[in-house]
Amino acid sequence: MVIDLDKCTGCQACTIACKVENNVPHGSPEEQRLRREIYWHKTIAVSRGKFPHIRTEILPMPCMQCEHPPCVTVCPAKATYRREDGIIMQSYRRCIGCKYCMVACPYGARSFNYKAQETKPYHRQDDPPDRKSWEPWPFPARTQGVVEKCTFCFHRIDQGLKEGKKIGIEVVPACVEACPSQARTFGDLDDPQSQISRLLASRSSFRLREELATHPKVLYLSR
Amino acid sequence: MEMNYSTIEGTSKGYKILIVFLGVMVGVFITSFLVAYLKGQQVWGVNNIIPWGQLITFYIYFIGLSAGAIIISSLSYVFRRETYEAIGRLAVFMGILLMIGAMVFVMVDLGRPEKAWRLFMYFYLNNMSSLFAINSIFYTGYITLMLIYLWLIFEGKKRFAAIIGTIDVLWAIAVHMGTGAIFGLIGNREIFFSPIKPFEFLMAALTSGTSLIILISVITFKLTRRMIQEELIFSLGRLLTTIIVVLLITVFVDKLTHLYFPNREATLYLFTGDYWWIFWIFQIGMGIGFPLFLLTYPKTKKSSRGVVLAALSVVIGVFGERAALVIPGTAHPQPFFPGNIEGPWGEPGIFPITFWESLLSLSIVSFVVLLFVLGLRYLEILPVRKAGDIPPTLDPTVKG
Amino acid sequence: MGKSKGNRSKDKKENEFNLTRRRFLKLSGVTGAILWTTHKTIGQLDSCLASPLQKKARYEEKWVVTSCLNCQGRCGIRIGVVNQRAVQVTGNPYSQVSEGKICPRAHVGLQVLYDPERIISPLKRTSSEKGKQIDPRWKPISWDQVLEEVSRNLRNLRDGLRPHHLLLFSGLNSRSNEDLISRFAEAYGTPNLVTGDALDWEAERAGNWMADGHFDLCAYDLDQTNYILSFGADLLESTPPVARWLRKWGKFRREKSIRTKVVSIQPRYSLTASKSDEWIPIKPGTDGALAMGIAHIILHEDLFDHRFIKEWTFGFEQYRETVLQNYSPEAVSKMTGIPTETIYRIAREFAQTRPALAIPGKGALAWSGGSYVGYAIRCLNALVGSIDVPGGILYQEQPEYRAVPKVPSDEIAKKGLKQPPLDLRGTERFPASRVVTNQIPQSLIERKPYPIEMAIGFNSNFNMTAPASRSWEEALKRIPFYVHVAPFISEMAQFADLLLPSTTYLEEWGYDHSSSGAGFAEVRIKQPVIKPIGDSKSIGDIIFLLAERIPGVVAKAFNGIGNCAEEFVRLRTSSLLSWEEFLKKGVWKGPPYQYKKYPTIFHTPSKKFEFVSGNLRALLNKKGRAIGEGTEILPHYSRVRWLGDESQFPLILFSYQPLLTFDNGSQNYPWAQEIFLPMQGMGWTSPAEVNRETARSLNLRERDRIWIESPFGKIQTYVKISEGVPPNMVCIPFGQGHTSYGKWQKGIGCNPNEVIGVDFDLLSGQSAFFNTRVKIYKA
Repeated sequence: MVIDLDKCTGCQACTIACKVENNVPHGSPEEQRLRREIYWHKTIAVSRGKFPHIRTEILPMPCMQCEHPPCVTVCPAKATYRREDGIIMQSYRRCIGCKYCMVACPYGARSFNYKAQETKPYHRQDDPPDRKSWEPWPFPARTQGVVEKCTFCFHRIDQGLKEGKKIGIEVVPACVEACPSQARTFGDLDDPQSQISRLLASRSSFRLREELATHPKVLYLSR
Repeated sequence: MEMNYSTIEGTSKGYKILIVFLGVMVGVFITSFLVAYLKGQQVWGVNNIIPWGQLITFYIYFIGLSAGAIIISSLSYVFRRETYEAIGRLAVFMGILLMIGAMVFVMVDLGRPEKAWRLFMYFYLNNMSSLFAINSIFYTGYITLMLIYLWLIFEGKKRFAAIIGTIDVLWAIAVHMGTGAIFGLIGNREIFFSPIKPFEFLMAALTSGTSLIILISVITFKLTRRMIQEELIFSLGRLLTTIIVVLLITVFVDKLTHLYFPNREATLYLFTGDYWWIFWIFQIGMGIGFPLFLLTYPKTKKSSRGVVLAALSVVIGVFGERAALVIPGTAHPQPFFPGNIEGPWGEPGIFPITFWESLLSLSIVSFVVLLFVLGLRYLEILPVRKAGDIPPTLDPTVKG
Repeated sequence: MGKSKGNRSKDKKENEFNLTRRRFLKLSGVTGAILWTTHKTIGQLDSCLASPLQKKARYEEKWVVTSCLNCQGRCGIRIGVVNQRAVQVTGNPYSQVSEGKICPRAHVGLQVLYDPERIISPLKRTSSEKGKQIDPRWKPISWDQVLEEVSRNLRNLRDGLRPHHLLLFSGLNSRSNEDLISRFAEAYGTPNLVTGDALDWEAERAGNWMADGHFDLCAYDLDQTNYILSFGADLLESTPPVARWLRKWGKFRREKSIRTKVVSIQPRYSLTASKSDEWIPIKPGTDGALAMGIAHIILHEDLFDHRFIKEWTFGFEQYRETVLQNYSPEAVSKMTGIPTETIYRIAREFAQTRPALAIPGKGALAWSGGSYVGYAIRCLNALVGSIDVPGGILYQEQPEYRAVPKVPSDEIAKKGLKQPPLDLRGTERFPASRVVTNQIPQSLIERKPYPIEMAIGFNSNFNMTAPASRSWEEALKRIPFYVHVAPFISEMAQFADLLLPSTTYLEEWGYDHSSSGAGFAEVRIKQPVIKPIGDSKSIGDIIFLLAERIPGVVAKAFNGIGNCAEEFVRLRTSSLLSWEEFLKKGVWKGPPYQYKKYPTIFHTPSKKFEFVSGNLRALLNKKGRAIGEGTEILPHYSRVRWLGDESQFPLILFSYQPLLTFDNGSQNYPWAQEIFLPMQGMGWTSPAEVNRETARSLNLRERDRIWIESPFGKIQTYVKISEGVPPNMVCIPFGQGHTSYGKWQKGIGCNPNEVIGVDFDLLSGQSAFFNTRVKIYKA
């Protein structure tokens, strides 16, 4: 995924769209105070300087889907694993909730379910279709005690592949679709002809915490 | 010289009260576990910034104690030093129980404990790059070895015991270095990341294990009216001094390396941030400084009270050392992007001490103590009380 | 007590592990068997993909096109409904105002729809006292009863020949509902229909009207502009249509060959300022001076568009003289606090990058001289020839709905409509105004020009969103009979006698066109995506039901335009496109925008763009007001009139409107609340942002609780040290501080409106928001 920081308007539509798409539970003032809110996608603000020469950068951060993911390395139950196309999957059935992956993730992309979420008023109780089914709208019932994270909306991609759609053009993750300024692009990094590759060739880009050599797949085009 | 072992009588009032109290605590354990299991971990102090809390601290602490205890037991069975014969079985038994306690701690800390069988089920089918998985193999082997070790000791098969004991000691070292590697290999947490972590853990295990042996021996022998040789205490005390010095060197090298970049920020947070007191007062003060002083200062060095006090200090201090790793290690905010990160993501994490979590930890500790006391009652762990052992008691009607 | 020897013994005693070899083997065998079985059975369920044991349930998906109503943008959206539950929101690609994109608030609409604390049946108040903290003790009643009671009161008022004693509040409603409400007001005979426009944008409208006769918001051709000079405008947070700005931002930054340069002139470092190329901090309230100063440089250095000025403007000479005489860059620099070199540089860049846009925002307009600031900025655009050209100012076209029959009138209505309006619009006090929202409390309290006997509020929440909330509360208490129509119990509803549950925008029929922005006309449909929740009815239907119960011209006015909201919408849009097409596509787009319509586009006496406002001159002459040296009809800067003495109240309260609470009557939405302030990374809160030096001098540390006190009241919140706030200001976001029902909003944060005083731009009736001075101290 490539995020153009110059086009990004800091509106956070990506964060909300992700919650809508994946039935991610919302938080509460108490949970934010205790740092227990679940975010699959978060937006951070980083500032430098003093008045009046100040600069604040707003960075949207999904799961980086690293090429050398520290979380996959440390998961004892193989609940998180890298699948063929590079997406780091999370299996709620295998997850034993040891939270080792949360400690190991350099980007804070993972959240733990500290309580059963069914009690929340906006949570979709009667999720269509059967909650436990994984196609085509998977809102798997995530119980308490498991870790969850962004999955690049793999369900959309799988569905799109089945229907023969073009990934990255007709089928994109929810955050990419929701971005009003079209600052986010999704596609195949290996394909030199894809829009992503062309974007990366056009400007300088960077990744977060490059020094940890996780080789994240989310790149930012600088302003 | 042959030593004979016996159980404790289990008839005194103190014993009965203790058993009842510990039994109640086991009930408390089950209750608090169920509360957390049903309501979710929201009742604890853990959160997305500090995902590991009291339970994991106790877990690594107990593994350390267990490994330390086994290594001390080797002095008796592998190296055949007579001084330590009196506490040999005690040490091995403690090793087993502490390990069981550690396993209970880690099982309870899981989000979904009912799936924990996976760790021990698949063994090599699990993710072998994960130290949790490797450790689960180590731990299973370790417990099995310890059980065999104890059984051999009870059977009196000294030669086999020595062989198994040797293997067990090496295995104990591997176990605890593995536990240390859980932390030492995590690259993004600067306080954790270090190749010395396994050694640091091992040294801490030795100091805390030795000290716990000293403490438990003195207390148990006293409460069951057995005489403990002062030479034993002093010998362990001297051993403790050496190990504390080695620990000091290890910790010093580790922290010194971390004061250089790239780990400098996090280390300064450890030294001066919200949790500075865990590091300075507990880890350095009570774990290293104060005991070292007690064990080298002539007056206290010579008294068994001084050694016991040093041992107590180390036991508390090393717990602080574990806590100083787990809590500030994850509390330090991760630098996603250079600059000042606004809001909660840029602030250090907070770990509140919550009622249910503390209750759970204490009750599991009580559970281990209960097993220990029951073991003393039904297994022949302690040496037989000799005639000259009985110190004057206040109650002449108590049978010997 | 048993003893055992340490050496080998053949005696097996009770206290040993009774473990023989046979037992050991048996034990291992059994354990192994258990493990193998478990692996084979439970382990199989442990597959990383979907388990074959799970079944697929019945699955029904449909997509409904409608439009959003979380702000005035009213963007076209598509709602995905699965098994009768709305689960997904996307944009409507047919809508071109925002190119089919939507802002984050559209997604929050799902929480608006399923808000667990919506009113689902009509409610009647049973407690006799009215007040902010007083529990109304609602009692559910039936629709028949409530309609009967309301219409009876309406009939009585009308029969008593006092239709003008009816006050109607209109908050954020769809255009079709707005049309129905105003039709009702006209037929009934009350001139008192009050919208919230004067809280937001009236100064901009008045400024534009003075320049070219369009009492309307600015529209911009963002696709092709190359330079944006924004005065106090939070372009990315609260400038409608929001989704358009968000989409076009991406477009003009990196999707065209020349990257548009954006310069943000604001006192505070806002989100927009952080995304702009330059942030120029300015002293609050001095944007007018800066605009005139920039004009000075353009005029002095001859950088203006000669052809446009010569052919299509009027009053240029007088304007030029005023500017050159009074607004030298050095003087302006002193007034605004901006270094002179910066003013020169910006002015030259603005004039020499074509096409360029100067954009006024609420931060520049919501002051007592606001209309003139709007006028001055409009004139800047004229100077550089950015009027009705590609990349410049556009004139918003309105859709031509099918005309409905004229509203029938009777004597009562005629007399009522002639009465002076309660908000004193168009009177001596506010000559050019069309609505003066914040005058209402004073009029109600003083019972001038006449008392109000009944009021109906449609989705309004003015005691939350208007300055001086206390006076609104006082005023609302004095309305003898207040009916509130909304899906939620807002702060205003707490003063109601009757609550009518209306549907949210996702359950009603309507047509909508966004507030001005794109130039071309576009109409979107509103249709129910699910059946109305509970017993709610749409506002359109409610008005039809009320009207038919008031015999006479009111009932007649609502005959022949359909029997319900759906038919009304169908009738009105029948001139645009076919109903079937509208239902399917959801959008009607007008013809492409035509530029350079100079011969016809200026609605001024001279039929040209006027630097000296003929419209205003005519208006003032009609009112009998003498025009002084002429500054009154020219753009100019007037010094800020502060509310509060500087010695007692040293800091300026400068509040700002983040995107996630923009235009919202309710904030009971966790998705929006938890990420409320992106620049601070915080949610569920509204801190007071204070400069580091200011905090130090007042001995305040981060997170200290403080009182913010103005001459009009005080509120409490906590300190956040921010580098983006100048030393003499304190900044608090709008949108929190709710006190009404809604557990996700009640008691969170504070509402700056409670301490802001009442002041107006006297020309347009725009409420001033930023001239209140405060002091802060530890709580």
